[in-house]
Amino acid sequence: MQVDQSQILEALWETLYMTGASFVFSLFIGLPLGILLVVTRKGHLLENEAVFNVLNIVINIFRSVPFIILMVAIIPLTRIIVGTSIGTAAAIVPLVFYAGPYIARLIENSLLEVDKGVIEAAQAMGASPGQIIFRFLIPEALSSLVLALTIAIVGLIGASAMAGAIGGGGLGDLAITYGYQRFDTVVMLLTVAILVVLVQGVQSLGNLMSRRVRRS
Amino acid sequence: MIQFEAVKKTYVSGKQQVHALNGIDLTVETGEIYGVIGFSGAGKSSLIRTVNLLERPSTGRVLIHGEDISTLSARKIRDTRKDIGMIFQHFNLLNSKTVHHNIAMPLILAKTPKAEIDRKVAELLEFVGLADQAKKYPDQLSGGQKQRIGIARALATNPSILLCDEATSALDPQTTQSILDLLRRINQEYNITILLITHEMGVIREICDKVAVLEEGRVIEQGSVFEVFSNPQHATTKRFVRSVMNDELPDSLLEQIRHNDGTRPIYRVQFTGNSVGQPFMSRVSREFQLDLNVLFGNITELQGIPYGNLIVEFDGAHAEIDRALASIRNDNIQVEEVQQHAG
Repeated sequence: MQVDQSQILEALWETLYMTGASFVFSLFIGLPLGILLVVTRKGHLLENEAVFNVLNIVINIFRSVPFIILMVAIIPLTRIIVGTSIGTAAAIVPLVFYAGPYIARLIENSLLEVDKGVIEAAQAMGASPGQIIFRFLIPEALSSLVLALTIAIVGLIGASAMAGAIGGGGLGDLAITYGYQRFDTVVMLLTVAILVVLVQGVQSLGNLMSRRVRRS
Repeated sequence: MIQFEAVKKTYVSGKQQVHALNGIDLTVETGEIYGVIGFSGAGKSSLIRTVNLLERPSTGRVLIHGEDISTLSARKIRDTRKDIGMIFQHFNLLNSKTVHHNIAMPLILAKTPKAEIDRKVAELLEFVGLADQAKKYPDQLSGGQKQRIGIARALATNPSILLCDEATSALDPQTTQSILDLLRRINQEYNITILLITHEMGVIREICDKVAVLEEGRVIEQGSVFEVFSNPQHATTKRFVRSVMNDELPDSLLEQIRHNDGTRPIYRVQFTGNSVGQPFMSRVSREFQLDLNVLFGNITELQGIPYGNLIVEFDGAHAEIDRALASIRNDNIQVEEVQQHAG
């Protein structure tokens, strides 16, 4: 094996850092967008055809660009935001552009599952649109939202492995540079094993939390 | 008081216009239990939703205590909605929250202090008979219990009006009865005006003071429950009344009527209210030398007033029968000959 323990730990840390940070930023973007996608649609709380159509199209555009291309395409923007286009921090920008719209769609999906009757009951008791969103829609969808966000995190772990292409580091980078390019099968297997454990752990945690918040 | 004035509601779907409400004029007086009945698609659901503006009328006005709330600001509309409780066919409770939290919801929205909320929720749970279920979740309750929670939630803000949207349609007959009893208690103890929509005539007979029959977005018949049940005018109303009054003639009787040669004519005699107490049969029999043979009949009660319906065979001289009929009609009893094809 051509790498030592500290290199593996560093790569693991980089993966966790990229995934964690980009998840938090993506959630900040995706949550409001997901809510807007639901409440501005026809017949809903704050029906607004223009807002809905623009969001719908913009999100579809971002969702249709493969991550590896997105990463390269927004390099100028990355440079403006983090000052460089290379490294772990620089990888977070394209990850957010990738996961933000994705999370918006996942959240839209979860919120649409909430029974329309519950919203009607909320309106009938005189709840404002804000109260309906935060006291009815989100609590009722919470269990499903947690599962959806788990999917997003797993997706981000996968996408972050590609960040090696712009020198982002992480387990994916390690697997490519040592495992693939230098034919080090042990490193390859080890990184894959770590990624498998990571994804299993995240999914189990997500399932557990989803059950926990079903009743609050 | 709720007043509908020429309320119309039109939905546009594609190039088609659907007229859900076609000019509704109705007045629900304070303290009344008013029932609106109709088959599905008649417009009941749209009608009840115009009261709290879940549906906005396309034209016309709905006045709540004399005020047209569609002209109010969004905030004022929300305030008015707090004075109008609503319960639903499928209860529409929050499955992620406890029974206590569900009932507390309208008070939480109104930013009521917690101690006050706890006191009110306990009182409401007591009223609907579920004091021991506060910590349970809706999916641990039966349909009837869920509707009781829905009712408690609707009453939390002390509304003056309660809207019931097919509130018993998802419940079995026995549970329906207990929910109707609860609604009657709410009406009597809190003097809350109740507007309910249903497709079950039994619900109307059981608790309503007045009824309107809705068909294709129009009120085709309205009046006190007693009037409408004892003397339905429209074919649809007759169908509804028949669904609970059981005055369908048995086949054997129909056979007998069919073979009636006219020597002993058969009449349907309907008597209501005060006329029920009269011994009209024995009087007519004596006075006009007739033999009266009751072939079929039932007597029931509507809003505490007895209502009877008899199928009677008259045997005697024709002239005497005619005189007897005139005399019976004189007593405000309805009589009509049962034709060969009648049923």
